[in-house]
Amino acid sequence: MSQIISIHSYRGGTGKSNVTANLAAQAAMAGKRVAIVDSDIQSPGIHVLFGLDKSTMKQTLNDYLHGKCAITDAAFLVGREPTAKEGVCKLADKFLWLVPSSIETMEISRVLKEGYDVNVLNKGLKTLRKSLQLDYLFIDTHPGLNEETLLSIGISDEMVIILRPDQQDFQGTAVTLDVARSLDVPSIRLFVNKALSRYDHAQIRADVEKTYSTQVVGVLPLSEDMVDLASADVFSLRFPDHPWSKELIRAAKIILGQA
Amino acid sequence: MSGVFDRLQKRMEVESQEGGISPLDLADLPPLLRKIMRYMLREYELTYPEICEWAEELAESERPTQAQLDEALTVLTKQFWLIKRGEGERIHYQANLRRKAGSKLAQGLWNALDTKIAAAATKKEETPPAS
Repeated sequence: MSQIISIHSYRGGTGKSNVTANLAAQAAMAGKRVAIVDSDIQSPGIHVLFGLDKSTMKQTLNDYLHGKCAITDAAFLVGREPTAKEGVCKLADKFLWLVPSSIETMEISRVLKEGYDVNVLNKGLKTLRKSLQLDYLFIDTHPGLNEETLLSIGISDEMVIILRPDQQDFQGTAVTLDVARSLDVPSIRLFVNKALSRYDHAQIRADVEKTYSTQVVGVLPLSEDMVDLASADVFSLRFPDHPWSKELIRAAKIILGQA
Repeated sequence: MSGVFDRLQKRMEVESQEGGISPLDLADLPPLLRKIMRYMLREYELTYPEICEWAEELAESERPTQAQLDEALTVLTKQFWLIKRGEGERIHYQANLRRKAGSKLAQGLWNALDTKIAAAATKKEETPPAS
């Protein structure tokens, strides 16, 4: 049976999409059948990491939500296209689908203006899991709490909350954790991102675990190399020996139950 | 066996409901109802025997009796958080999530925005690419 892993953060800019893309890519590299749904309809972005743009994204989650196509038609099998970057190319013989949200201004405006039927989204997630015979479905959400976020929390087997070592993130994470616990999510883990290298990461891990009584699955360093890549590729595939990647890969094994 | 008219009638009833569950409502439900709704949200639609089978596989401490399960399904159906369709052996249930509401901004604002977006798109198409 497929596992649903939802990736959240209370605030924007935590690196949620980057972590989602890298975790999903590592699952695919391990031979699993994986899909990512970009449910951040208001401000989509994860497609950039896989080198997709308007010309390559034929159909999107928005098209599915508006009844224009089947959800499986909006699932793009990444790594096969000739323009794929060095890292994403490594997925060429793997199975990682991305269901992107539209980056057409009109489409984003339409969803904001009219809303949509959340049942259709939910049905689509079920169809994806079944039709693509997924081992893992990753849901990348809008920061904070809204319908898509809450739905993904409500149906997930595993929830990963990304936070930075930042007071605003700490407060927001407490709220998100409260919601997740009240919705009986079976497994909740924290992932600290953008930790300054001069700090003791083991201490950060210990402090955060103590504060929230929740496992910290990894502490990722703030990396200039990551910033330099500018979301142009999947970092852990492109630079597998980088300290950021090693920590990500270690955490991925724990989340995927391979540790 | 329900006919086309019955099914359409049912659909109209459902669509006329403002209700449906928000995932946040799950938090306020008693444990058994929350457990059922979480499972139904995941699976979207299940037959009655499938729900019974799932309940059978729950840990003994959490497993409801048949009467408790039936009562829970009735409560959730009355709230329109589950939609019940079919009869007899063919009864199935579907999770019913509340629609994501659109913006409450004045329609005029959206019309103005749409016009501007459309104009910008047209202008972009007409502009020859820089050589």
